[in-house]
Amino acid sequence: MGVDFTLNGKPRSFAGDPRTSLLHALRDDFRLTGAKDVCGEGFCGACIIYVDGEPKTSCLLPVGALQGTEITTIEGIGNVDTLNPVQQAFIDFDVVQCGMCFPGMVMTLTHYLKDNPRPSRAEVKAALTGNICRCTGYERIIDAVMSLHNSASGEVRT
Amino acid sequence: MEQRFKYPPSVEDAVSALGDSAVLFAGGTWVMRAPLRDEDCEKTFISLAKIPELHLVSVNDAGVKIGALVTHHALAAISDVPEMTALVQAAGRSANPAIRRMATVGGNICAKDFAAADLVPALLALGAEVEVQSFEGAASLTLEDYLQTRSTRPSTEILTSIHIPRHSGRSAHARGLLRQAGEYPVANVSVYLEPDQNGAINAARIAVGSVESTPKRWHALEAAVSGQPFGRLSISDLAQSLTQEFTPRDGVDAPATYRLRILPRLVAQAFADAMGQLERSA
Repeated sequence: MGVDFTLNGKPRSFAGDPRTSLLHALRDDFRLTGAKDVCGEGFCGACIIYVDGEPKTSCLLPVGALQGTEITTIEGIGNVDTLNPVQQAFIDFDVVQCGMCFPGMVMTLTHYLKDNPRPSRAEVKAALTGNICRCTGYERIIDAVMSLHNSASGEVRT
Repeated sequence: MEQRFKYPPSVEDAVSALGDSAVLFAGGTWVMRAPLRDEDCEKTFISLAKIPELHLVSVNDAGVKIGALVTHHALAAISDVPEMTALVQAAGRSANPAIRRMATVGGNICAKDFAAADLVPALLALGAEVEVQSFEGAASLTLEDYLQTRSTRPSTEILTSIHIPRHSGRSAHARGLLRQAGEYPVANVSVYLEPDQNGAINAARIAVGSVESTPKRWHALEAAVSGQPFGRLSISDLAQSLTQEFTPRDGVDAPATYRLRILPRLVAQAFADAMGQLERSA
C-alpha cells in the first residue's frame, strides 16, 4: 500500500519506504529536480515546496506524513509560457547566478507576497531568513521583489 | 506503509506502539536528521499527527494549555496572553519560517540532544508544567524536573501537553547569534519579571539555553535580583558575577568561553525588554 497525494495538480502515489524524504522522492522517483538537495538540514531553503499551500523544507518531510495532501513544487507554480511573477522579476533583474537557491527563493517569496503584498526591504530580508544564497546576490533579489509592488494599487501580480 | 510509519489514533495507542525499535514523529525536523548524527535510522516512525487534542491551544483564566504538536509558527501568532511574550518571541525568531511551520513545541522539549532549543528556556521562565503519558497513565511535573530527568525517561512515555499558569508579570526572550537570523543561538536567555507595589522585583524567573547541553533556570541570579528596585538594578554586572553557575559547552558554532561572555549582555537585553513591557502596561 502506497501513500497517495496530489503533486502539481495530478494524483500520484508513492510505494517506497514511507520514511523517505519528500525531497528524495521528488528527485529520484518523480523526476522533479527543481527542489535542490543541498544542506539536508532545513537551513538553506533550496528544497522548499508547498504542502497544502504552506512552504516547508522537503528534506525533512517523510512521504508517509503526506497522505491526502496537495504538494506543489517549483515545477507547478508557473509554466514556460506564463512564468510566475517572482520568476519573471528574477529574470528581469538578472537575479539568478548559480541557480541552486532560486527555486526555493521563488517558493518562499511567492507565498510571502500573497499575505504581504507591499513589504519593506527589511521585511523581505526577514522572509528570506531560511533561503541561503552563497553567490551573495541578496540585494538584487530584493530589488526584484520590490519591483513587484510598484503598481498604484499595490497589488501583486500573482 | 503500516510497518514503518504508524498513525495511532489516540495517545494510549501511541504509547502501546512505542518501544526500542520505534521513534516518535512530531514535526520531523529532528528525527529526519538522524542519519546526519549517525543514529539508528531503521526505527518505525510513530506519528502523533492524527491525535486531535495534541494540536490544540486553549487559554483561560487558570492558564494556557498547549498540545505537544503545536508548531512554532502557531505559538508565534498567540497575541492575547501578555505575560507570555518570551514564548511568542522565542517561537517567532527561532530557525526560519519554513522550519517554524514544521517544528513542534513537544519536539523542542523532547529532543534531548538538542542544546539550542529556543522554546525551552522561554517555558522555564514562564514556570511551565508538562503532562506525560505512559503505561502507568498520565502524570504532571514541572518542566524543570522533566529536563533534569530527560535523558533517563522511559522510551514508552509521551509528552502530551504543556501548561503555563497565568501570571501578572511580563517576559522576554533574547538570542545571541553570530549572524542576524537563521541559525541556532550561541546562547539564549528568557526572563519573567513581576513587580511589587513599590517598584521592586517581587518575582523573577531566568532561564538560559544553549550554554550547557540542557537549558536550565539561573536560580542564583533570580535570588540576587529578588527584592531589588528595578531602577537601580545593574543586571549585567550581577549576571557577570554569577557566570560560574555554568559549565559551558564547546561547539563548532562557538567555543565554551564565548557562550559565557555574551550571557550578561543577553540577560540585560531580556530584562530591558520585559521592564519596558511592564512600564507600558502600568
